[in-house]
Amino acid sequence: MTGVVLAAAIGALFALGTFLLLRRDLIRVVWGLAIISQAANVYLLTMGGIAPATADSVPVLAGHGEHVPVTADPLVQALVLTAIVIGFGMTAFALVLSYRVYEEHDTLDVTELGDRE
Amino acid sequence: MTATPGGMESQLVIAPMVVVLLTAVVSLLLSRRPRARAAVSMAGGAAYAVAVGAIDWYIVLAPDAPGIATYQVGDWPAPFGITLVADGLSAFMLTMVAVLGVASLVFSTRHLPGGQGRSYYFPLFHFLALGVTGAFLTGDLFNLFVWFEVMLMASYVFVAYSGGPQHTRAAFWYVALNLLASAIFLLGVGGIYATTGTLNMADLARRLADPAAFGLDPVPVVGLLGLLLSVFAIKAGLVPFQFWIPTAYRAAPPQITALLAGATKKVGIYAIIRLSFTIFAGAEVAVDLPIPLLGLSIAGDSPLPFVGAALFLMAGASILVGGIGAVGRDSMEGVFAYSSIGQVGFIAIPVAIAATTTDPGLRELAIVAALVYALNHTLAKGLLFLAVGAVRSATGTSRFADLGGIASRSPPLAIAVFVGSLALVGIPPLSGFFGKFLVFEAAAKARAGPVLVLLLVGSLLTIAYVTRTWNQSFWGAQTDAVETATVDSVQVTVLVLLTATIVAVGVGFEPVYAFAEAAAEAALDTEGYVDAVDPIDASELDDLSGGDH
Repeated sequence: MTGVVLAAAIGALFALGTFLLLRRDLIRVVWGLAIISQAANVYLLTMGGIAPATADSVPVLAGHGEHVPVTADPLVQALVLTAIVIGFGMTAFALVLSYRVYEEHDTLDVTELGDRE
Repeated sequence: MTATPGGMESQLVIAPMVVVLLTAVVSLLLSRRPRARAAVSMAGGAAYAVAVGAIDWYIVLAPDAPGIATYQVGDWPAPFGITLVADGLSAFMLTMVAVLGVASLVFSTRHLPGGQGRSYYFPLFHFLALGVTGAFLTGDLFNLFVWFEVMLMASYVFVAYSGGPQHTRAAFWYVALNLLASAIFLLGVGGIYATTGTLNMADLARRLADPAAFGLDPVPVVGLLGLLLSVFAIKAGLVPFQFWIPTAYRAAPPQITALLAGATKKVGIYAIIRLSFTIFAGAEVAVDLPIPLLGLSIAGDSPLPFVGAALFLMAGASILVGGIGAVGRDSMEGVFAYSSIGQVGFIAIPVAIAATTTDPGLRELAIVAALVYALNHTLAKGLLFLAVGAVRSATGTSRFADLGGIASRSPPLAIAVFVGSLALVGIPPLSGFFGKFLVFEAAAKARAGPVLVLLLVGSLLTIAYVTRTWNQSFWGAQTDAVETATVDSVQVTVLVLLTATIVAVGVGFEPVYAFAEAAAEAALDTEGYVDAVDPIDASELDDLSGGDH
């Protein structure tokens, strides 16, 4: 059940992110990118195994044949933590850049930006 | 024979990264003292070159060199920590970057591009170099993602650096595209982790070579490798992912574009070679994909035939799109930006040949061809973009409409561009001749007739656009902008030295070829790579603690 819910959540996030990414407004484009990054993060977490974890369900432990107490996969959490920090910085940068684009072009509309060669 | 852990070779692996990181941080602290900052930058650049030279000699080229050395960060055993690996392939790539990086750095001290960000130019330059260096040295897939991001963050700022309307717009699309690429990279990384239970490249190679022993099903890896390859193709700018290149390359300052074309593009190529040949080549996956209409089928027992087929299509399209696009541009950097798309196609064709062939000798020859061509592209295109920078700082423009007769105004600058252009075309005795020759030889040996025709067309297009560039800006009568121009002597000196390097690589090609051969052998030597990193199983761990903390 958890698997279905998470798969649906990831799918919904990717769909929403893609929808926003294709909008005409630059700010919405940045939102779309942020949401797609988060979708990738949720996906990463699920890749670590989402069943009530045993030593066998965690790839890093199952693959290396060591028996340990029940645990969630620590590695994907470290990966997601890193990805969140990078994504946060990038989103901030993209927002500042949109503001600069607005200053230079007096518009945030993608179609108007493209016309000014 | 491998390097002893903790020995000198092991310390050398991390040296270039430490040097460039220190330089970046110190130059950031000196933001109010321009002279001191420039001096620190230069010293850092020189130290970086020395560190890379030491890696080349002690790890790869010396008579008793181990050929590969690893550094386990924090002394954690692989695959539990982050591994840094320096082998022939990494060293070859690092050397290219070091040569071009030092040239671009010296060039930049004379004419910093304007803009509000001037005081951050040098720190960003070193952070860009840090990202590129880390990407070449890391032995861990997720860590590769992190170094990509470090490299990209610096390049984002450089694309937006000049702050005008078209610069900010170019930077926005560049950022948007790469954020999307990063998300896709994470999907690939996550999928590979779930499939194989590891992200350490050597551990991956070991497990994929013997999936039964580790109880994994390697089939999904083919598709996941496809995801990763698309990300690397975005970085390398292969068609259909080439659309960001012209705008971004025109927006960034020319001396940075030299690095973007010469170094960051090569990171994409490097990642394709490293992952396809060192890591995934041994994966036991029986593939059989019939192609309707053509009566062909892609078949093999590893993911490589897929990689080869995809790369052939992308590289072929790149050669045509880049070449045809370059012929019609109206400014020097426009021509060279499109030219970069075409030239990367020339690098990717031999990689594709290596992936599709089953003959080990031809495979190695094709990788050597790709590496030599990549070296030539880095030197020649780096030189040409730096020349654009020199023309711009002298005349204030690089549009053909405002240029003409530079050859009579500044003969050394003209000679540099002339030689750089000839190297792109592939005239002997320059470095470009051997690159072109090896690529053609690999295609001929693979009996790929259509590919040969394509390479020939691409070469003719190259001749067309460099000739046009030369005629428009260096020949003819001097325009007003050129008549009043004074070319900076230091910039010209850098260009002349780079020109001399191109000639030297061509004339003394023997050692360069030996180095490229060592790099190709390292790229194909999966076993040596795995042995050097020596990933262990958890059952072999006595205690899960790091080293001497």
